[in-house]
Amino acid sequence: MTRRTRYIGWALGLGVAAGLFTASPAAAVPETIGSCVFEKLVELEESGSSLEALEEEGEEAVVAFSDDLEKCVEAPSLIIPEIDEIIWGGSAFLVLFAFMVWKGFPAVQGAMNARAEKIAADLDAADQAKTEAARIKSDHEAELAGAKAEAARLIDEARGQAEQVKADLVARANEEVAEMRARAAADAEAARNQALADLRGDVSEIAIGAAERVIRTNLDHDTQRALVDAYIDEVAGRG
Amino acid sequence: MNFPPVGSLFDWPSIWFEGTFFAINKTVLIYIGSVIITMVIFLLAGRRRETLVPSGIQHVAESGVTFIEESVVMQTIGPEGKKFMPFLTTMFFFIFFSNITEVIPVIQLPANSRMAVPATLAALVWLIYNVVGIRSQGFFGYMKNSLFPPGPPKALYIIVTPIELVSTFLVRPFSLAIRLWANMVAGHLLLVTFAILSATMWAAGGLGYAGALFLSWPMLILMIGFEILVSFLQAFIFTILTAVYIGGSMHPEH
Repeated sequence: MTRRTRYIGWALGLGVAAGLFTASPAAAVPETIGSCVFEKLVELEESGSSLEALEEEGEEAVVAFSDDLEKCVEAPSLIIPEIDEIIWGGSAFLVLFAFMVWKGFPAVQGAMNARAEKIAADLDAADQAKTEAARIKSDHEAELAGAKAEAARLIDEARGQAEQVKADLVARANEEVAEMRARAAADAEAARNQALADLRGDVSEIAIGAAERVIRTNLDHDTQRALVDAYIDEVAGRG
Repeated sequence: MNFPPVGSLFDWPSIWFEGTFFAINKTVLIYIGSVIITMVIFLLAGRRRETLVPSGIQHVAESGVTFIEESVVMQTIGPEGKKFMPFLTTMFFFIFFSNITEVIPVIQLPANSRMAVPATLAALVWLIYNVVGIRSQGFFGYMKNSLFPPGPPKALYIIVTPIELVSTFLVRPFSLAIRLWANMVAGHLLLVTFAILSATMWAAGGLGYAGALFLSWPMLILMIGFEILVSFLQAFIFTILTAVYIGGSMHPEH
Protein backbone atom coordinates (compact mmCIF):
# COMPACT_ATOMS: atom_id res chain seq x y z
CA MET A 1 0.00 0.00 0.00
CA THR A 2 1.42 3.37 -1.01
CA ARG A 3 1.61 6.32 1.35
CA ARG A 4 -1.00 8.15 -0.72
CA THR A 5 -3.46 5.26 -0.48
CA ARG A 6 -2.88 5.11 3.25
CA TYR A 7 -3.59 8.84 3.63
CA ILE A 8 -6.79 8.50 1.62
CA GLY A 9 -7.82 5.54 3.80
CA TRP A 10 -7.18 7.50 6.98
CA ALA A 11 -9.06 10.52 5.67
CA LEU A 12 -12.06 8.41 4.69
CA GLY A 13 -11.98 6.59 8.02
CA LEU A 14 -11.84 9.83 9.99
CA GLY A 15 -14.65 11.26 7.90
CA VAL A 16 -16.88 8.29 8.55
CA ALA A 17 -16.00 8.31 12.26
CA ALA A 18 -16.85 12.00 12.49
CA GLY A 19 -20.11 11.40 10.66
CA LEU A 20 -20.99 8.49 12.93
CA PHE A 21 -20.20 10.59 15.96
CA THR A 22 -22.46 13.41 14.83
CA ALA A 23 -25.14 10.81 14.22
CA SER A 24 -24.69 9.21 17.62
CA PRO A 25 -27.59 8.91 20.07
CA ALA A 26 -26.39 12.02 21.86
CA ALA A 27 -26.52 14.09 18.69
CA ALA A 28 -29.77 12.81 17.28
CA VAL A 29 -33.02 14.07 18.78
CA PRO A 30 -35.93 12.07 17.43
CA GLU A 31 -39.28 13.81 17.49
CA THR A 32 -41.46 13.01 20.52
CA ILE A 33 -45.27 12.95 20.66
CA GLY A 34 -45.28 16.02 22.92
CA SER A 35 -43.06 18.08 20.66
CA CYS A 36 -45.09 17.03 17.62
CA VAL A 37 -48.38 18.09 19.26
CA PHE A 38 -46.76 21.32 20.38
CA GLU A 39 -45.61 22.04 16.81
CA LYS A 40 -49.13 21.39 15.49
CA LEU A 41 -50.63 23.82 18.01
CA VAL A 42 -48.02 26.44 17.12
CA GLU A 43 -48.79 25.94 13.43
CA LEU A 44 -52.50 26.34 14.22
CA GLU A 45 -51.93 29.58 16.05
CA GLU A 46 -49.56 30.87 13.35
CA SER A 47 -52.29 30.24 10.78
CA GLY A 48 -54.44 32.69 12.74
CA SER A 49 -56.76 30.03 14.13
CA SER A 50 -57.21 28.49 17.58
CA LEU A 51 -58.85 25.51 19.25
CA GLU A 52 -61.86 27.65 20.11
CA ALA A 53 -62.11 28.84 16.53
CA LEU A 54 -62.04 25.23 15.33
CA GLU A 55 -64.87 24.31 17.68
CA GLU A 56 -66.83 27.23 16.34
CA GLU A 57 -66.14 26.13 12.76
CA GLY A 58 -67.82 22.85 13.45
CA GLU A 59 -67.24 19.15 13.87
CA GLU A 60 -65.50 18.68 10.52
CA ALA A 61 -62.76 21.13 11.39
CA VAL A 62 -62.25 19.51 14.79
CA VAL A 63 -62.07 16.02 13.22
CA ALA A 64 -59.59 17.24 10.58
CA PHE A 65 -57.35 18.76 13.25
CA SER A 66 -57.68 15.63 15.38
CA ASP A 67 -56.62 13.49 12.41
CA ASP A 68 -53.67 15.79 11.96
CA LEU A 69 -52.74 15.29 15.61
CA GLU A 70 -53.10 11.51 15.20
CA LYS A 71 -50.12 11.58 12.88
CA CYS A 72 -47.99 12.50 15.90
CA VAL A 73 -48.50 9.05 17.43
CA GLU A 74 -47.97 7.19 14.17
CA ALA A 75 -44.60 5.45 14.24
CA PRO A 76 -42.45 5.65 11.13
CA SER A 77 -42.79 2.43 9.15
CA LEU A 78 -40.14 -0.10 10.02
CA ILE A 79 -40.63 -2.39 7.08
CA ILE A 80 -40.90 0.05 4.18
CA PRO A 81 -37.38 0.79 2.99
CA GLU A 82 -36.33 4.38 2.43
CA ILE A 83 -35.31 5.28 -1.11
CA ASP A 84 -32.17 7.13 -0.03
CA GLU A 85 -31.03 4.17 2.07
CA ILE A 86 -31.67 1.77 -0.82
CA ILE A 87 -29.60 3.95 -3.15
CA TRP A 88 -26.73 4.36 -0.69
CA GLY A 89 -26.86 0.78 0.66
CA GLY A 90 -27.13 -0.80 -2.78
CA SER A 91 -24.39 1.33 -4.29
CA ALA A 92 -22.18 0.74 -1.24
CA PHE A 93 -22.53 -3.00 -1.75
CA LEU A 94 -21.83 -2.73 -5.48
CA VAL A 95 -18.76 -0.56 -4.88
CA LEU A 96 -17.47 -3.06 -2.34
CA PHE A 97 -18.21 -5.95 -4.71
CA ALA A 98 -16.35 -4.21 -7.54
CA PHE A 99 -13.40 -3.56 -5.26
CA MET A 100 -13.38 -7.19 -4.10
CA VAL A 101 -13.47 -8.51 -7.67
CA TRP A 102 -10.80 -6.05 -8.82
CA LYS A 103 -8.35 -6.02 -5.93
CA GLY A 104 -9.36 -7.35 -2.52
CA PHE A 105 -10.28 -10.95 -3.20
CA PRO A 106 -7.53 -11.75 -5.74
CA ALA A 107 -4.91 -10.24 -3.41
CA VAL A 108 -5.95 -12.33 -0.42
CA GLN A 109 -6.53 -15.42 -2.53
CA GLY A 110 -3.15 -14.89 -4.19
CA ALA A 111 -1.42 -14.61 -0.82
CA MET A 112 -3.15 -17.78 0.35
CA ASN A 113 -2.26 -19.66 -2.84
CA ALA A 114 1.35 -18.46 -2.64
CA ARG A 115 1.58 -19.68 0.93
CA ALA A 116 0.00 -23.02 0.02
CA GLU A 117 2.50 -23.40 -2.84
CA LYS A 118 5.38 -22.51 -0.54
CA ILE A 119 4.24 -25.06 2.02
CA ALA A 120 3.87 -27.69 -0.71
CA ALA A 121 7.33 -26.84 -2.08
CA ASP A 122 8.83 -27.00 1.42
CA LEU A 123 7.17 -30.36 1.99
CA ASP A 124 8.53 -31.62 -1.33
CA ALA A 125 12.01 -30.39 -0.43
CA ALA A 126 11.77 -32.04 2.98
CA ASP A 127 10.62 -35.24 1.33
CA GLN A 128 13.51 -35.13 -1.11
CA ALA A 129 15.96 -34.42 1.72
CA LYS A 130 14.53 -37.35 3.63
CA THR A 131 14.92 -39.63 0.60
CA GLU A 132 18.49 -38.38 0.06
CA ALA A 133 19.32 -38.95 3.73
CA ALA A 134 17.93 -42.49 3.52
CA ARG A 135 20.01 -43.11 0.41
CA ILE A 136 23.17 -41.81 2.09
CA LYS A 137 22.42 -43.92 5.13
CA SER A 138 21.98 -47.06 3.04
CA ASP A 139 25.24 -46.21 1.17
CA HIS A 140 27.06 -45.83 4.44
CA GLU A 141 25.61 -49.06 5.73
CA ALA A 142 26.70 -50.84 2.56
CA GLU A 143 30.19 -49.34 2.86
CA LEU A 144 30.32 -50.36 6.50
CA ALA A 145 29.29 -53.90 5.66
CA GLY A 146 31.96 -54.02 2.91
CA ALA A 147 34.59 -52.72 5.30
CA LYS A 148 33.64 -55.32 7.86
CA ALA A 149 33.87 -58.09 5.25
CA GLU A 150 37.23 -56.76 4.07
CA ALA A 151 38.49 -56.65 7.64
CA ALA A 152 37.33 -60.23 8.24
CA ARG A 153 39.01 -61.32 5.00
CA LEU A 154 42.26 -59.58 5.96
CA ILE A 155 42.17 -61.17 9.40
CA ASP A 156 41.61 -64.62 7.88
CA GLU A 157 44.39 -64.01 5.39
CA ALA A 158 46.76 -62.86 8.15
CA ARG A 159 45.82 -65.83 10.22
CA GLY A 160 46.52 -68.16 7.28
CA GLN A 161 49.83 -66.44 6.60
CA ALA A 162 50.78 -66.75 10.25
CA GLU A 163 49.93 -70.44 10.18
CA GLN A 164 52.02 -70.81 7.05
CA VAL A 165 54.95 -68.94 8.57
CA LYS A 166 54.65 -71.06 11.69
CA ALA A 167 54.61 -74.27 9.65
CA ASP A 168 57.58 -73.07 7.57
CA LEU A 169 59.53 -72.16 10.66
CA VAL A 170 58.79 -75.50 12.27
CA ALA A 171 59.76 -77.34 9.09
CA ARG A 172 62.94 -75.34 8.72
CA ALA A 173 63.80 -75.93 12.35
CA ASN A 174 63.23 -79.64 11.89
CA GLU A 175 65.39 -79.60 8.80
CA GLU A 176 68.11 -77.72 10.61
CA VAL A 177 67.95 -80.13 13.54
CA ALA A 178 68.14 -83.07 11.18
CA GLU A 179 70.99 -81.41 9.32
CA MET A 180 72.79 -80.69 12.55
CA ARG A 181 72.25 -84.25 13.63
CA ALA A 182 73.57 -85.56 10.33
CA ARG A 183 76.52 -83.17 10.46
CA ALA A 184 77.23 -84.22 14.03
CA ALA A 185 77.04 -87.87 13.03
CA ALA A 186 79.37 -87.22 10.08
CA ASP A 187 81.73 -85.27 12.31
CA ALA A 188 81.66 -88.09 14.83
CA GLU A 189 82.31 -90.58 12.06
CA ALA A 190 85.13 -88.51 10.67
CA ALA A 191 86.59 -88.08 14.14
CA ARG A 192 86.31 -91.78 14.72
CA ASN A 193 87.95 -92.53 11.42
CA GLN A 194 90.62 -89.94 12.13
CA ALA A 195 91.10 -91.42 15.55
CA LEU A 196 91.33 -94.89 14.06
CA ALA A 197 93.79 -93.72 11.45
CA ASP A 198 95.88 -91.96 14.06
CA LEU A 199 95.63 -94.93 16.32
CA ARG A 200 96.55 -97.25 13.49
CA GLY A 201 99.64 -95.22 12.70
CA ASP A 202 100.68 -94.99 16.29
CA VAL A 203 100.01 -98.69 16.93
CA SER A 204 101.85 -99.75 13.85
CA GLU A 205 104.84 -97.63 14.76
CA ILE A 206 104.84 -99.05 18.25
CA ALA A 207 104.30 -102.57 17.02
CA ILE A 208 107.08 -102.29 14.45
CA GLY A 209 109.44 -100.97 17.00
CA ALA A 210 108.47 -103.65 19.40
CA ALA A 211 108.69 -106.40 16.81
CA GLU A 212 112.13 -105.26 15.66
CA ARG A 213 113.38 -105.49 19.12
CA VAL A 214 111.64 -108.82 19.81
CA ILE A 215 112.50 -110.92 16.81
CA ARG A 216 115.58 -109.04 15.81
CA THR A 217 114.96 -110.05 12.36
CA ASN A 218 115.37 -107.52 9.65
CA LEU A 219 112.28 -107.13 7.89
CA ASP A 220 112.01 -104.40 5.36
CA HIS A 221 109.89 -101.51 6.35
CA ASP A 222 107.12 -102.11 3.76
CA THR A 223 106.75 -105.77 4.73
CA GLN A 224 106.43 -104.82 8.40
CA ARG A 225 103.88 -102.20 7.66
CA ALA A 226 101.78 -104.57 5.57
CA LEU A 227 101.96 -107.12 8.32
CA VAL A 228 100.77 -104.58 10.92
CA ASP A 229 97.99 -103.25 8.72
CA ALA A 230 96.75 -106.77 8.17
CA TYR A 231 96.76 -107.29 11.88
CA ILE A 232 94.92 -104.05 12.58
CA ASP A 233 92.30 -104.80 9.94
CA GLU A 234 91.77 -108.14 11.55
CA VAL A 235 91.44 -106.47 14.94
CA ALA A 236 89.08 -103.81 13.47
CA GLY A 237 86.98 -106.51 11.84
CA ARG A 238 86.56 -108.15 15.19
CA GLY A 239 85.83 -104.86 16.96
CA MET B 1 -42.86 8.34 31.25
CA ASN B 2 -43.30 9.37 27.67
CA PHE B 3 -41.56 7.19 25.08
CA PRO B 4 -41.43 8.03 21.38
CA PRO B 5 -42.81 5.41 18.95
CA VAL B 6 -40.63 2.33 18.49
CA GLY B 7 -39.94 3.35 14.93
CA SER B 8 -38.01 6.34 16.23
CA LEU B 9 -35.31 3.96 17.42
CA PHE B 10 -34.55 3.10 13.82
CA ASP B 11 -35.58 6.13 11.79
CA TRP B 12 -32.68 8.54 12.09
CA PRO B 13 -32.87 12.05 10.74
CA SER B 14 -30.84 13.09 7.75
CA ILE B 15 -27.47 14.69 8.37
CA TRP B 16 -26.71 15.89 4.85
CA PHE B 17 -28.79 16.33 1.65
CA GLU B 18 -32.07 16.19 3.57
CA GLY B 19 -35.14 15.78 1.44
CA THR B 20 -33.25 14.34 -1.56
CA PHE B 21 -32.79 10.78 -2.77
CA PHE B 22 -29.20 11.05 -1.63
CA ALA B 23 -29.92 12.03 1.96
CA ILE B 24 -27.26 10.70 4.31
CA ASN B 25 -28.22 9.58 7.78
CA LYS B 26 -26.64 7.36 10.40
CA THR B 27 -27.67 4.15 8.61
CA VAL B 28 -26.03 5.28 5.37
CA LEU B 29 -22.84 6.19 7.24
CA ILE B 30 -22.75 2.67 8.67
CA TYR B 31 -23.05 1.22 5.14
CA ILE B 32 -20.16 3.40 4.00
CA GLY B 33 -18.17 2.48 7.10
CA SER B 34 -18.72 -1.23 6.43
CA VAL B 35 -17.44 -0.80 2.88
CA ILE B 36 -14.33 1.07 4.03
CA ILE B 37 -13.54 -1.37 6.83
CA THR B 38 -13.84 -4.36 4.49
CA MET B 39 -11.70 -2.63 1.87
CA VAL B 40 -9.00 -1.77 4.40
CA ILE B 41 -8.94 -5.31 5.78
CA PHE B 42 -8.53 -6.85 2.34
CA LEU B 43 -5.99 -4.26 1.20
CA LEU B 44 -3.83 -4.83 4.25
CA ALA B 45 -4.28 -8.59 4.13
CA GLY B 46 -3.36 -8.75 0.45
CA ARG B 47 0.10 -7.28 0.92
CA ARG B 48 2.98 -9.61 0.09
CA ARG B 49 4.50 -11.10 3.20
CA GLU B 50 7.13 -13.70 3.76
CA THR B 51 5.65 -15.07 6.98
CA LEU B 52 4.35 -18.60 6.74
CA VAL B 53 1.75 -18.22 9.47
CA PRO B 54 -0.80 -15.42 8.90
CA SER B 55 -1.42 -13.07 11.78
CA GLY B 56 -3.49 -10.03 12.68
CA ILE B 57 -5.63 -8.51 9.98
CA GLN B 58 -4.33 -10.97 7.39
CA HIS B 59 -5.65 -13.77 9.54
CA VAL B 60 -9.08 -12.10 9.72
CA ALA B 61 -9.38 -11.80 5.93
CA GLU B 62 -8.01 -15.24 5.18
CA SER B 63 -10.17 -16.88 7.84
CA GLY B 64 -13.20 -15.16 6.31
CA VAL B 65 -12.33 -16.31 2.80
CA THR B 66 -11.56 -19.85 3.96
CA PHE B 67 -14.77 -19.92 5.99
CA ILE B 68 -16.85 -18.85 3.00
CA GLU B 69 -15.12 -21.34 0.75
CA GLU B 70 -15.25 -24.37 3.01
CA SER B 71 -18.42 -23.79 5.03
CA VAL B 72 -20.56 -22.11 2.40
CA VAL B 73 -19.49 -22.71 -1.19
CA MET B 74 -18.14 -26.26 -0.97
CA GLN B 75 -21.04 -27.36 1.21
CA THR B 76 -23.80 -25.97 -1.00
CA ILE B 77 -22.61 -25.54 -4.58
CA GLY B 78 -19.39 -27.49 -4.91
CA PRO B 79 -16.12 -26.68 -6.71
CA GLU B 80 -17.88 -24.93 -9.59
CA GLY B 81 -19.29 -22.45 -7.10
CA LYS B 82 -15.86 -20.91 -6.52
CA LYS B 83 -16.58 -18.28 -9.16
CA PHE B 84 -19.15 -16.86 -6.73
CA MET B 85 -16.58 -16.54 -3.96
CA PRO B 86 -15.98 -12.77 -4.39
CA PHE B 87 -19.73 -12.11 -4.38
CA LEU B 88 -20.44 -14.27 -1.34
CA THR B 89 -17.39 -12.96 0.55
CA THR B 90 -18.45 -9.37 -0.14
CA MET B 91 -21.96 -10.18 1.01
CA PHE B 92 -20.78 -11.81 4.23
CA PHE B 93 -18.42 -9.03 5.27
CA PHE B 94 -20.81 -6.24 4.27
CA ILE B 95 -23.71 -7.71 6.20
CA PHE B 96 -21.55 -8.60 9.19
CA PHE B 97 -20.04 -5.13 9.56
CA SER B 98 -23.46 -3.55 9.04
CA ASN B 99 -24.82 -5.77 11.82
CA ILE B 100 -22.03 -5.57 14.36
CA THR B 101 -22.41 -1.79 14.75
CA GLU B 102 -25.32 -2.53 17.09
CA VAL B 103 -22.87 -3.34 19.88
CA ILE B 104 -20.22 -0.74 19.09
CA PRO B 105 -20.37 2.14 21.57
CA VAL B 106 -21.51 5.50 20.18
CA ILE B 107 -22.86 3.91 16.98
CA GLN B 108 -25.24 1.37 18.58
CA LEU B 109 -27.44 0.73 15.59
CA PRO B 110 -27.48 -2.30 13.29
CA ALA B 111 -27.77 -0.86 9.80
CA ASN B 112 -29.68 -3.95 8.72
CA SER B 113 -32.47 -3.13 11.17
CA ARG B 114 -33.44 -0.81 8.32
CA MET B 115 -35.08 -2.68 5.48
CA ALA B 116 -33.10 -1.04 2.67
CA VAL B 117 -30.06 -3.30 2.44
CA PRO B 118 -31.78 -6.60 3.31
CA ALA B 119 -34.40 -5.89 0.65
CA THR B 120 -31.87 -4.74 -1.94
CA LEU B 121 -29.59 -7.71 -1.36
CA ALA B 122 -32.53 -10.13 -1.40
CA ALA B 123 -33.68 -8.68 -4.73
CA LEU B 124 -30.13 -9.01 -6.07
CA VAL B 125 -29.96 -12.63 -4.89
CA TRP B 126 -33.33 -13.35 -6.51
CA LEU B 127 -32.05 -11.95 -9.78
CA ILE B 128 -28.77 -13.84 -9.61
CA TYR B 129 -30.14 -17.29 -8.80
CA ASN B 130 -32.79 -17.00 -11.49
CA VAL B 131 -30.25 -15.89 -14.10
CA VAL B 132 -27.90 -18.70 -13.02
CA GLY B 133 -30.77 -21.20 -13.27
CA ILE B 134 -31.78 -20.06 -16.75
CA ARG B 135 -28.17 -20.05 -17.96
CA SER B 136 -27.48 -23.50 -16.51
CA GLN B 137 -30.65 -25.28 -17.55
CA GLY B 138 -32.27 -23.06 -20.14
CA PHE B 139 -35.47 -21.16 -19.44
CA PHE B 140 -37.89 -24.06 -19.89
CA GLY B 141 -35.61 -26.55 -18.18
CA TYR B 142 -35.25 -24.22 -15.20
CA MET B 143 -39.00 -23.66 -15.01
CA LYS B 144 -39.72 -27.36 -15.35
CA ASN B 145 -37.23 -28.35 -12.67
CA SER B 146 -38.36 -25.56 -10.37
CA LEU B 147 -42.10 -26.05 -10.71
CA PHE B 148 -42.21 -29.81 -11.28
CA PRO B 149 -39.57 -31.27 -8.98
CA PRO B 150 -39.09 -34.99 -9.58
CA GLY B 151 -40.39 -37.37 -6.95
CA PRO B 152 -44.03 -36.85 -6.10
CA PRO B 153 -46.83 -38.66 -7.98
CA LYS B 154 -48.12 -36.70 -10.97
CA ALA B 155 -51.46 -36.01 -9.34
CA LEU B 156 -49.74 -34.17 -6.50
CA TYR B 157 -48.34 -31.56 -8.89
CA ILE B 158 -51.70 -29.82 -8.59
CA ILE B 159 -50.60 -28.94 -5.06
CA VAL B 160 -46.81 -29.03 -5.41
CA THR B 161 -46.45 -26.73 -8.42
CA PRO B 162 -48.25 -23.71 -6.93
CA ILE B 163 -46.33 -24.19 -3.68
CA GLU B 164 -43.04 -24.32 -5.56
CA LEU B 165 -44.01 -21.30 -7.65
CA VAL B 166 -44.77 -19.23 -4.58
CA SER B 167 -41.86 -20.47 -2.48
CA THR B 168 -39.17 -20.27 -5.17
CA PHE B 169 -40.12 -17.09 -6.94
CA LEU B 170 -42.01 -15.06 -4.34
CA VAL B 171 -41.34 -16.13 -0.78
CA ARG B 172 -37.59 -16.67 -1.00
CA PRO B 173 -36.52 -13.04 -1.39
CA PHE B 174 -39.00 -11.89 1.24
CA SER B 175 -37.98 -14.55 3.73
CA LEU B 176 -34.33 -13.77 3.09
CA ALA B 177 -34.80 -10.05 3.66
CA ILE B 178 -37.22 -10.28 6.57
CA ARG B 179 -35.14 -12.87 8.44
CA LEU B 180 -32.12 -10.58 8.53
CA TRP B 181 -34.08 -7.40 9.14
CA ALA B 182 -36.31 -8.86 11.89
CA ASN B 183 -33.39 -10.39 13.76
CA MET B 184 -31.57 -7.09 13.77
CA VAL B 185 -34.68 -5.18 14.83
CA ALA B 186 -35.32 -7.63 17.65
CA GLY B 187 -31.72 -7.47 18.78
CA HIS B 188 -31.70 -3.69 18.79
CA LEU B 189 -34.97 -3.61 20.74
CA LEU B 190 -33.56 -6.03 23.30
CA LEU B 191 -30.46 -3.94 23.83
CA VAL B 192 -32.44 -0.70 24.01
CA THR B 193 -34.90 -2.28 26.45
CA PHE B 194 -32.23 -3.43 28.86
CA ALA B 195 -30.25 -0.21 28.49
CA ILE B 196 -33.32 1.91 29.29
CA LEU B 197 -34.29 -0.45 32.11
CA SER B 198 -30.82 -0.12 33.64
CA ALA B 199 -30.87 3.65 33.37
CA THR B 200 -34.40 3.92 34.74
CA MET B 201 -33.75 1.63 37.71
CA TRP B 202 -30.52 3.44 38.49
CA ALA B 203 -32.30 6.78 38.33
CA ALA B 204 -35.02 5.51 40.68
CA GLY B 205 -32.41 4.97 43.43
CA GLY B 206 -32.92 2.75 46.50
CA LEU B 207 -33.66 -0.81 45.43
CA GLY B 208 -33.28 0.37 41.86
CA TYR B 209 -29.50 0.47 42.31
CA ALA B 210 -29.49 -3.23 43.18
CA GLY B 211 -31.90 -4.03 40.37
CA ALA B 212 -29.78 -2.18 37.86
CA LEU B 213 -26.48 -3.60 39.11
CA PHE B 214 -27.52 -7.21 39.56
CA LEU B 215 -30.35 -7.72 37.07
CA SER B 216 -30.77 -5.43 34.11
CA TRP B 217 -27.16 -4.39 33.61
CA PRO B 218 -25.69 -7.94 33.70
CA MET B 219 -28.51 -8.94 31.37
CA LEU B 220 -27.55 -6.09 29.04
CA ILE B 221 -23.96 -7.34 28.95
CA LEU B 222 -25.20 -10.86 28.27
CA MET B 223 -27.41 -9.56 25.47
CA ILE B 224 -24.50 -7.68 23.92
CA GLY B 225 -22.56 -10.93 23.75
CA PHE B 226 -25.60 -12.66 22.31
CA GLU B 227 -26.03 -9.96 19.68
CA ILE B 228 -22.42 -10.30 18.57
CA LEU B 229 -23.22 -13.95 17.90
CA VAL B 230 -26.47 -13.00 16.14
CA SER B 231 -24.65 -10.46 13.96
CA PHE B 232 -22.26 -13.13 12.76
CA LEU B 233 -24.94 -15.79 12.48
CA GLN B 234 -27.30 -13.66 10.40
CA ALA B 235 -24.51 -12.70 8.00
CA PHE B 236 -23.66 -16.38 7.67
CA ILE B 237 -27.29 -17.44 7.20
CA PHE B 238 -27.94 -14.82 4.53
CA THR B 239 -24.77 -15.86 2.70
CA ILE B 240 -25.31 -19.60 2.94
CA LEU B 241 -28.94 -19.32 1.83
CA THR B 242 -27.79 -17.29 -1.15
CA ALA B 243 -25.32 -20.06 -1.96
CA VAL B 244 -28.03 -22.70 -1.49
CA TYR B 245 -30.33 -20.89 -3.93
CA ILE B 246 -27.54 -20.48 -6.49
CA GLY B 247 -26.51 -24.10 -6.06
CA GLY B 248 -30.12 -25.24 -6.47
CA SER B 249 -30.37 -23.28 -9.69
CA MET B 250 -27.11 -24.71 -11.04
CA HIS B 251 -27.88 -28.30 -10.13
CA PRO B 252 -31.51 -29.31 -10.68
CA GLU B 253 -32.88 -32.09 -8.50
CA HIS B 254 -32.66 -35.49 -10.12
